[in-house]
Amino acid sequence: MAPISTHVLQAISQELSRIPVDPGDLATAASQLGAQLDGLARLDDLDLLAVEPATVLLPPSEDPHGA
Amino acid sequence: MAPDELTRLSIAEAGEQLRRRALSPVELTRAYLDRIQRSDGDLLAYITVLPGEALAAATAAEREIARGNYRGPLHGIPIALKDLVLTRGIRTTCGSRILADWVPDTDATVTTRLAEAGAILLGKLNMHEFAYGPTGVNPHYGTSRNPWDRQRVPGGSSSGSAVAVAAGLAAGALGTDTGGSVRIPAALCGLVGLKPTYGRVSRAGVIPLAWSLDHVGPMTRTVTDAALLLQVLAGRDPADPSTTDVPVPDYRRAMQGEIRGLRLGLPKDHFFERLDPEVRAAVLAAARSLEGLGASVEHIPLPNIPHAGPASFAIIASEAMAYHEPYLKTRAAEYGADVRARLMTGQFVLASHYLKAQRARQIIRAEVDAALRRVDALLLPTTPIPAPRLDAQEVTVDGVTEDARWWLIRCTRPINVTGHPALSVPCGLTAGGLPVGLQIVGRHFDEATVLRIGHAFEAVGPMRDRRPPLDS
Repeated sequence: MAPISTHVLQAISQELSRIPVDPGDLATAASQLGAQLDGLARLDDLDLLAVEPATVLLPPSEDPHGA
Repeated sequence: MAPDELTRLSIAEAGEQLRRRALSPVELTRAYLDRIQRSDGDLLAYITVLPGEALAAATAAEREIARGNYRGPLHGIPIALKDLVLTRGIRTTCGSRILADWVPDTDATVTTRLAEAGAILLGKLNMHEFAYGPTGVNPHYGTSRNPWDRQRVPGGSSSGSAVAVAAGLAAGALGTDTGGSVRIPAALCGLVGLKPTYGRVSRAGVIPLAWSLDHVGPMTRTVTDAALLLQVLAGRDPADPSTTDVPVPDYRRAMQGEIRGLRLGLPKDHFFERLDPEVRAAVLAAARSLEGLGASVEHIPLPNIPHAGPASFAIIASEAMAYHEPYLKTRAAEYGADVRARLMTGQFVLASHYLKAQRARQIIRAEVDAALRRVDALLLPTTPIPAPRLDAQEVTVDGVTEDARWWLIRCTRPINVTGHPALSVPCGLTAGGLPVGLQIVGRHFDEATVLRIGHAFEAVGPMRDRRPPLDS
């Protein structure tokens, strides 16, 4: 598992995403992300540029609800 | 017939009695409502029960059938919906505190289709908050209990859907499946769960988790019942641009044929690599049963399947984050801790990760398509483990210890990535009495073959007439 600094994640949350985040959530996020990074890097083993991205269809229309 | 016996009838059986007017929709609905009142205090399958509305609808159905206006096999059948399916005038919580009091003013397309078919809505079902988790653990409404062992999770995210159908609190239910959320709870609760092809069933009016992976599907006690529900749900919907004009066959008729001569594939990679021994034994025994019915079984290489896990993670994390960002900025404290942390993770997934995942998806899908040109369907375990205990954080299989959630989604999420139809059918019980699911994956829009294989297996499999040990 790749170690990820929660300080880096906190900076991204505050400066880029602008989402207030609980430090406890950052530790969980670091763990979850760390568990996936090697797998995400291995996607490069595929011939990705030989295909177009799957069509990302627009989500169906929905009701706005009380945010 | 005693009320509890009525709640054990399949949709097909009850529907036939309703059609012949040997059974009244009011009598059937009342039997389910009585059972919900008796049992759901412990099982926690429902978030909202609708006794008045259900009885009014049942009374209307009774009159209509008496006048000779029988609409079809769902007319008068009491069903329930996962609480992320919009219901006009009825609160739709998505298993969350954030939407605890939200009452939509429209119906989802699937709600409308079921109502038009004459189904009776008993209520809205418990679920993992915002459908973001495979255990069904819910801090806001309590965790639905697995009727086979109440100390075990029912699986999720469509937890209440599975518990309600397994425990006789609904004749059938709808769930949604983004990484396995129909098939996992179906497998863990001994039910049939169908994730149709991506694009087969409208998601309009269904609160999304990740729109490029979300599917809506039926959860039932029999394969025939799944076919009956799919028949009503399937087809193009202008409100959901992912749906298509691919013709919808008569599923019940199409699934009747024998399976002699069909070619079935057991993947060599990923799906059978790390399995609970009892799950492995049950799934391989199911494959042998299908061979006994005249199908041939061969091993199929799928070397790129292991890439589906990271691809699924990047897509779900990104799309869920995009949907939830407004709430995370203003109402983060109202989420349960597990779901909030998972949603927060989405902000750290790079755009390049997301696009690589969507490209990888094409490659993985092409690989499965190629396999399905060689065979008619694939046979997989639905989950590598039976239902974990409610308090289990990690589970060890073959000496490998992982988060229980990762085990649960290991064999289902690749099929969300590829969009193929996948049916989970009960295929056995462990020595501890926990159900095991066989997953049957077919070609795009060929739900009929998947159902036919499941139906044939069901007739000879070990779970015929097995019910959870909760009846008193």
